[in-house]
Amino acid sequence: MTLLPWKREAQKPGPQTSAFEDLALPLLPALYNVASWLTRNPTDAEDLVQESFLKALRGFAGFETGTNFKAWIFRILRNTYLTSRTGLEATRTVALEDELDEQRVSGPGLYPEGAIDRQTPEVNLMRLADRAMLHGALEKLPPPLLEVILLCDVEEMKYKEIAVVLEIPIGTVMSRIARARTALRKTLQGQDTQPRERGA
Amino acid sequence: MTEHISQADLNALADGELSPDQLAFVNDHLAACPACTSAALVQTLLKANIAKAGQRYAMPAGLEERLKRLATSDSSGRSRPSGRSAMAGWATAAAILLVISSGLILMLQGRRGAELAALEYQAQVSEVSDLHIATLAAGLGPQVVSSDRHTVKPWFQGKLPFSFNLPDNLPGDTKLDGADLTYLHNQPVAQLLYTIGRHRVSVFLTERRSGEPMDGKQSEHSGFKVTSVGVGDLDIVAVSDVDQARLAELVSLIRSVQAGAKA
Repeated sequence: MTLLPWKREAQKPGPQTSAFEDLALPLLPALYNVASWLTRNPTDAEDLVQESFLKALRGFAGFETGTNFKAWIFRILRNTYLTSRTGLEATRTVALEDELDEQRVSGPGLYPEGAIDRQTPEVNLMRLADRAMLHGALEKLPPPLLEVILLCDVEEMKYKEIAVVLEIPIGTVMSRIARARTALRKTLQGQDTQPRERGA
Repeated sequence: MTEHISQADLNALADGELSPDQLAFVNDHLAACPACTSAALVQTLLKANIAKAGQRYAMPAGLEERLKRLATSDSSGRSRPSGRSAMAGWATAAAILLVISSGLILMLQGRRGAELAALEYQAQVSEVSDLHIATLAAGLGPQVVSSDRHTVKPWFQGKLPFSFNLPDNLPGDTKLDGADLTYLHNQPVAQLLYTIGRHRVSVFLTERRSGEPMDGKQSEHSGFKVTSVGVGDLDIVAVSDVDQARLAELVSLIRSVQAGAKA
C-alpha cells in the first residue's frame, strides 16, 4: 500500500518561519526580561514568552511588513500576560485605583509646579544609582506603571510605540510615565510611594 | 521666562520626545534656570539608571533553542499532515468502517444499547491499539520531542479544542518522551508518549462528545493492555505492553492533575 499523498517530507522551516525567527529571536532576551518583571516568577515568565512566541508565529501572516515588529510582538506578550492567571490577579488589584488616577491626572493642570521635586541633594543622586534600591522601587510600582517605564526606559521605545503596545492614547502614556517616575523618586527618597500629584 | 518647565516637558526631554521648537525653548530656559537644570539632570539620571537596573533577568539557557524547535515543529505540523497522521488516517478509516459495520449488525439484530456501547468501546480499543502499534512501527520520533510538560502542553495550543494538564512528578522509571497530534473518529486528540522502564506507552486524551465516560475500563487487544478513565469532559485511554497495574497508575496520575483544565 502506498501512502504517497501523505508522504512525510523532510522537516525544515518554511520561508515565513525563517523570516519570523529572524525578527523574533533577537528580541527574546528583552521579552523574557519584561515577562520576568511582570510575572515575578521564572517559570511563569518562560511560559509567557513561549506562549507569546507561538501566538506571534501563528499570527505572523497577519503582521504587516514594514510596520514595527517589536511593538507588535510586545503587544502580544502584554495581552498574553493580561489573560494569564498572574496578569488577571494584578489587573484586579490595581484596576480601580489606576482608573481613578487616570481620570484625575489626564485633565488640565496635570503637573502643578509643586509636583516637581527640585530638591536634589547628593544623597538622592546616589540613591538614583543604587541598583538594589532601583530594583526595590521598580518592584513597588503597580503593573500599569511598571510596564510603561520598562518599555520607555529599558526598551527605549518612543511614546508612539508604547501607545501601540499598551493600546492607550499617547497622553495616557505620558501621564503614566510621569506618575511612574514620581513614584520611583519618592520610593528612592524613602518617602511615601504615592505620586505627589495624587493629592494635588 | 518666569515659569518653570513642566514635569511633562522634563520627561519628554529625558525621553527625546520634544519637537525641535520645544527643545529650543527648553534649552533656553535651562541655560537660565538652575532649578530646572537640576530637575532635568535628576530625570535624565533616573532614566539612565532605570535602563540599567531594568535589564535584570537573563534568559535561561536553552529557551531560545526550545523555541526554535517549537517554531519548526509548529510550522511543519500546520503545513501538512505527518506520516504518523497518515497512519492515523488509515486507522481512523478502518475504525469508522468497523463502527459502521457494528452499527448495521446491531440494527439488523435489534440488540440493546448496552451492546452497542460495548462494541463502540471495542472499536475504540481496537483503534487506539492500532494507533499505538503504528507509532511503534513507524520508528519516527514524536512530533514534539520533550520530557518537559511546559514544552509539550503549549505545543497543542490551537491544535486541540480542549486543554489538559500533565503531571510533574512521575514515578521513578516513567518518562515523558513527547507527544503527537493524531485523530480518533475524525476528532483531533493528544497522543502522549511515555516510557515505563523499557515499555512504550501511548496515552490518548480525547474530548468526550457524547455517551458515558469510559471510567475504569480495562481490556486487552493484540497483546496490548488498554486502560480508560474519564474526567470531566475528557477521556484518557492508555495503551502499552506494560503490566496493567503500572499502566493504571500512570493513567490515574494524569487523571489526578486534570482539575482546572478546561475541556
